[in-house]
Amino acid sequence: MLRGVNRRPGGNRSRLLLVILLVTALFFITLDLRGVTLTSGSRSVTQSILAPVQKSVSNIFAPVGRFFSDIKNFGKTNNELQDLKAQNAKLASEVVLNKDIQGELKELRGTLDLAARANYKVVAARVIGRGSASTFSQTISIDAGTADHVSVNETVISENGLVGVVKSVEAHTAIVLLMNDPSFKIGVRVARSQSVGVLTGQGDNTYQFDLLDPAGSVQVGDALISNGSDNNRPYIPGVPVGYVTAVDHTSAILTQSATVKSYTNLNNLGVVAVVVSAPTSAPRIPIQPTPIPTVTVFVTPPPFSVATAGASGATPAPTPTPSATSSTK
Amino acid sequence: MNPLRLAVNTLFLFGLFIVQESVVSRIRLPLAGFSLYLAVLLAMISLEERTGAVVLGFIGGLVLDLSPTSNAPFGQWALILTVVGYLISANRDSVAEFIEGHIGFGIFIGIAASGALAAYLLFGTLLGESNGNFWRACIIIFGNFLYTVIFSPFFIPPLNWLRDQMLTSRERA
Repeated sequence: MLRGVNRRPGGNRSRLLLVILLVTALFFITLDLRGVTLTSGSRSVTQSILAPVQKSVSNIFAPVGRFFSDIKNFGKTNNELQDLKAQNAKLASEVVLNKDIQGELKELRGTLDLAARANYKVVAARVIGRGSASTFSQTISIDAGTADHVSVNETVISENGLVGVVKSVEAHTAIVLLMNDPSFKIGVRVARSQSVGVLTGQGDNTYQFDLLDPAGSVQVGDALISNGSDNNRPYIPGVPVGYVTAVDHTSAILTQSATVKSYTNLNNLGVVAVVVSAPTSAPRIPIQPTPIPTVTVFVTPPPFSVATAGASGATPAPTPTPSATSSTK
Repeated sequence: MNPLRLAVNTLFLFGLFIVQESVVSRIRLPLAGFSLYLAVLLAMISLEERTGAVVLGFIGGLVLDLSPTSNAPFGQWALILTVVGYLISANRDSVAEFIEGHIGFGIFIGIAASGALAAYLLFGTLLGESNGNFWRACIIIFGNFLYTVIFSPFFIPPLNWLRDQMLTSRERA
């Protein structure tokens, strides 16, 4: 097992090397935290390299994944399948592909339905990759990018509701930060009571919801809707986010908190939509109050004398009277 | 580690990184995901002498830092894996007997991967990163340990074979 391994402990040279490498790593970390584009650019280049591979893998594995579920159904009619085995073998791949396409279409239709109901302008995209286990981040890669008018900090939805927000974007791909990522925070309001709070991802399928107002109200089963951000970035208003499954009534904290489950199953995303334009009449904007009528008095200039008017042949002007006109500001 | 082997190892790690990001990450395993990249890298580090282990840890960490899905600052994995590489190589005599067999080696890599992930999370917390629920992080680390132990018999033998092919006669002696 350990052939070729030098078991002698290293000397000062290896310690010096260790120090140099550690300092280099700390240097990179400092550069990145200070926002130097060199380090963030390297990740963009990697994404450009990974994108074609991820697309190819996605095309290969999507039908295979659905194929395994079809195998279970085949078992029910095993005897019949034995007779039709030859015929089915020929058609199996087509069936799998059709089911795959149907599944994607169904998902896409649902997503577009939600977008249409809320007047969102969306760009549909397929999920081509997921975040690595070694980074602890909850992300997906999608096959839409700047070429499809997708940009950073745009809301991503599925047929059931919120998915996440666009974190970085390349020409034909983008990385979406999922709503269950621990760094994900979104302002939401309770649909029933209109109480406002902050929803935070926990890394799994549950979310932490903290009410901002101590007098706010939240109950089990309450639906949460996104509150929206300034200029609709990163979050557009009115997107279904999740529902409350448990309320924490601890008296030690001023405001109530609750456990929330999302409407969207983030483990099973196939097609999503990036909202590139939010509705013009956003649900969070209050209804404009009815204008109060105001009275404006117009004063007509003094009239000509009748004689002068008759001599010149002009039509006599009417007697001046103050006129009241309703107008709005 | 000679420069040629270092270059080949770097290319190999980058190829493995692409496989990890494109294929392995797509597989939804119960409990948590499995980092094949981390497992193979730690196995390679375990088989190197001290200088090689430190350099391989640094390079492997830099490659892992390239992950576009990562929220952590660039260089964090390089820092952690350099330290892990040093610690493994410095304590080689203590762990040498333990990693003689495939199962023992698999468990050792699993523990090393868990330690690296825990150190990564801890360092990230010190830098102000949000790492979510503590128990969720524990489950992820435990899940990764479990899958590393389970899958190690499949990747350790070919890895050993590849390494043997790349050793120079001097290193082999």
